[in-house]
Amino acid sequence: MSILVDENTRLIIQGITGREGTFHCEQMLQYGTNVVAGVTPGKGGQEVLGVPVFNTVREAVEATGANASVIFVPAMHTAAGVYEALDAGIKTIMTIAEHVPVHDMMGVYHAARMKGARVIGPNSFGVISPGKSKAGFMAHRIFKPGHVGLMSRSATNCYETVFMMSNAGIGQSTCVGVGGDMIPGSTFTDILPLFEADPETKAIVMIGEIGGNEEELAAEYIKNHVTKPVIALIAGKNAPKGKSMGHAGAIVSADGTGSAENKEKALRAAGVHIAETTTHIVDILKSLNL
Amino acid sequence: MDLMEYRAQGLFAKFGVPCNAGVVVDSLEELEAKQDELRYPLVIKAQVKIGGRGKAGGIKFADNFEEAKAAAEAILGMNIKGHIVKKLMLVEKKEIAREFYLSVMLDRGTKCPVFIFSPEGGMDIETLAKEQPEKIFKTVVTPGFGAKDYIANYFAAKAGLDKAQTKELAVVIKNLYKLFCDYHCLLCEINPLVLDPNGHIMALDGKVSIDDSAVVKLPDIAAPEAGENIEPLVKEAADFNFLYIPCDPEGDVAVVSNGSGMIMSCIDHIAKHGYKVRASLDLGGGATADRIKEAVRIILADPKIDTLFINIFGGITRCSEVALGIKGAIEEYGITSPIIVRFEGTNKEIALETIKPLTTVIYADGLISGVEELCKLKEGGNH
Repeated sequence: MSILVDENTRLIIQGITGREGTFHCEQMLQYGTNVVAGVTPGKGGQEVLGVPVFNTVREAVEATGANASVIFVPAMHTAAGVYEALDAGIKTIMTIAEHVPVHDMMGVYHAARMKGARVIGPNSFGVISPGKSKAGFMAHRIFKPGHVGLMSRSATNCYETVFMMSNAGIGQSTCVGVGGDMIPGSTFTDILPLFEADPETKAIVMIGEIGGNEEELAAEYIKNHVTKPVIALIAGKNAPKGKSMGHAGAIVSADGTGSAENKEKALRAAGVHIAETTTHIVDILKSLNL
Repeated sequence: MDLMEYRAQGLFAKFGVPCNAGVVVDSLEELEAKQDELRYPLVIKAQVKIGGRGKAGGIKFADNFEEAKAAAEAILGMNIKGHIVKKLMLVEKKEIAREFYLSVMLDRGTKCPVFIFSPEGGMDIETLAKEQPEKIFKTVVTPGFGAKDYIANYFAAKAGLDKAQTKELAVVIKNLYKLFCDYHCLLCEINPLVLDPNGHIMALDGKVSIDDSAVVKLPDIAAPEAGENIEPLVKEAADFNFLYIPCDPEGDVAVVSNGSGMIMSCIDHIAKHGYKVRASLDLGGGATADRIKEAVRIILADPKIDTLFINIFGGITRCSEVALGIKGAIEEYGITSPIIVRFEGTNKEIALETIKPLTTVIYADGLISGVEELCKLKEGGNH
């Protein structure tokens, strides 16, 4: 087991004929992901690296029985891509692009719930279940199969943590790039029940950052529903106020909403281990004797 | 992206939100040329993207052109909390019977637009929320279904408006919501929304903030504003597609990395040791040597920065390219400040060979040891 993607994932790449789509198709195939189809309107009938290309997601699903999709299309077309996948019945959708308009994501967020589907991202590296499958662009060499579930708003902070974990012999069940935007398709609170229910996951690492209140909402959920140990790191404690730190979502308002202090306080109260640094995450994981 | 008041008012007018249209000028000459359009009594308002301009002297009144000219002369060029006034809006002073607060914003918690109203307008909403939270009313809107009449009915009940006024409020709310959606706004705020002595509702000030990611879809917004204060290094970095963020003006350390999460982590680590980061630069993914050379030059262009930490966890970004970029910057731009470098990931080994002969480059094998090297340098410099 693991969550979201695994050996049973039959993946579509939307935007497979683009530069990024083709490059990461190759990377995913090398990793062993079962990429069953690609979609690019107007390129139906072609093949990319042996993967058949269709004009629409519906045709791809009809022909291949695909059950997940990763969307490598530009930000302005990302929402349209998600709606197409949702309407074709896909329940697990990973979105990669940075700078997707937040109003677009507001629509996607509610539509996905209406359809009972999960959208991951945007502004995300995707999802990887080490040793089984990956749907996204993460540098997969650093990941190692194991029992820690990880979810992160930042790709680089996730890599740093995974690198240290893997070097210390601690593997991961699944790593989810929640993404750095103001409205993610799935929040920490949406992912937590999946890790809680996954028998392979024995501890959960959550890498948050300043801005918004997802960490506080997650704390509330953890307090009432999560029995597994949770370790959290909040990045951006010393970032200047009122400035978006590159991630559209990483901004502390003038009134202090979204500050690291609020988040750590809420998480501590929910019994979450607060890590000061990525190395500290590894130390805490070691002390848990999983 | 925050719009200046006059642009916000322009959008209000476009969407049928009643507002106090006026004259916009950026020089005394322009004021002379437009003097026939002025209506007295007149309000002269500085156009700056920062609150508190009234207290700073950025709003003045005039009863005739001589007074208007004197006020304009006093306000143009004024420094309001670091923002230089380059533009003025001149409007007729309105009689006010009552002041309200109205806004619609994107709520990150519910992932929905939320309308906020208060029968007590005029003061800033953060202060009101602190001092009189019972006077703030909110209602969440279901995305995709529009702003329905009940929103105005609810707020009107809280403010004790009559039937005709409620109808006018409903028009303001509907049209403001259309602006909010069509222009991808994060916030549309009217403070104050006023009731004039004749019982009509009008926006007297406006704040509109637009999602940066959507600006490319809005050609009338994308054009840069005259009088905009963009820091030159931010702009220069943006021309190379880098994100330069000025951080702590008291700091003297800079951070370069390939992702905003890592930049925040670096700033946090450095702060733990008591040092302050003055600026950071995000390379994004996949930067090449010739661009990185410019990034190093730009981040060190601020003379107050004496130490640079470059922390790369390379996936799409190749460490070898970063190393060549650093080498290029040192050799071509004669950079002598010490640079601490950390490489991990793609092409790390090649990168290490490249930086080996560079005497001002200090290599650290990890984020923590990189910050330790930085501390050693700073302590050494202080002795």
